[in-house]
Amino acid sequence: MGIQKYEEMNALAIDMLRELGSIGGGNAATALSSMLNAKVNMALPEVKIMGFNQAMHLLGHPEELVAAIFVEMSGEMHGVMLFILTKEFSDAILEKMLGKSSADFLALEEIDTSVLTEIGNIVISSYVTAMSSLCNVEVELSVPQFTVNMLGGIMSVPIAMMGQHSDRIMMITGKFKIDGRALDSNMLLLPDVESLNVLMKKLGVIDG
Amino acid sequence: MIKKISVGIADMKITRQEGVLITYALGSCIGISFYDPMIKLGALLHIMLPQKQGTDTNVFKFADSGIPETLRKLQAFGAMKSRMVCKIAGGAKMFEMKGPGGLGNIGERNAQMVKMALMKEGIRVMGEDTGANYARTMLLDVGNGKVSIRSAGKPEKFL
Repeated sequence: MGIQKYEEMNALAIDMLRELGSIGGGNAATALSSMLNAKVNMALPEVKIMGFNQAMHLLGHPEELVAAIFVEMSGEMHGVMLFILTKEFSDAILEKMLGKSSADFLALEEIDTSVLTEIGNIVISSYVTAMSSLCNVEVELSVPQFTVNMLGGIMSVPIAMMGQHSDRIMMITGKFKIDGRALDSNMLLLPDVESLNVLMKKLGVIDG
Repeated sequence: MIKKISVGIADMKITRQEGVLITYALGSCIGISFYDPMIKLGALLHIMLPQKQGTDTNVFKFADSGIPETLRKLQAFGAMKSRMVCKIAGGAKMFEMKGPGGLGNIGERNAQMVKMALMKEGIRVMGEDTGANYARTMLLDVGNGKVSIRSAGKPEKFL
């Protein structure tokens, strides 16, 4: 039996998702680390099921300016992956990769945005690759999109995508830190309900 | 100290005489402000999607159900449709959605549906700041009916 709503997931299924987040996130951290040639730590991922407004406030004030890389999933799983970077985190990346001290967040040069997009792309792809090979699901990713915008506006995109059929959204979050510095970036995986059923079937959490 | 009332996603708040209704970081969502200057009654509605499907109970999530419900409530508090000043903001295209599962330009569809729903109620849009690709915070000052828009890296704008 599949689930119809996110809140129907049992503890076993949530554990499974947390484990997937951990494996995917670990892979992503390794990729990030080798690209930046720095130590990258990842906090234990969390699985959160929450209302829209909670989701908006989860990562910070909705008006906070952040950079985000956005990828849509299709194939056997549908949903969205977001890699959200604070100003500090993006500065740290640009410093490591391009030797720039501090860029104007609202007037990034083309080279800056392509570096950040590529970093996001690699981090997201390595996350999804780990997850899809572990569960044997085929996932295709769209061309990554980059924006610098208010956090709330960015979060409203997956919320609107999931919102047609649900009053809650589910996300698997992972936080990265570079060189132990408290520079936050967040990796969010937001699958739709049907994709969760696919995952749970493949991993034998539910019969099918 | 002016009281600030924050309006969430898929949410609506009404207040009268004084106070500021505020909704943060509208992306593809749309904020719709209603104001009856005669009795200083204002409402701010934050919708997320154009059209209600099935048996969704959250009326303020959708343009086509949220607008009539907001007007019904305002009229219950004594507002008149003929005096109503209505302004809209939001409906941005945050990302180019090219994937097959995408919603397309949800912001634009939201804006169209909002205008249609308002027209159906016989209400004209007196001010608008929609489209483009950035998030907006919308404020309605119920004391004077002023609507302002804040967005990153741009000066505050009055509609």
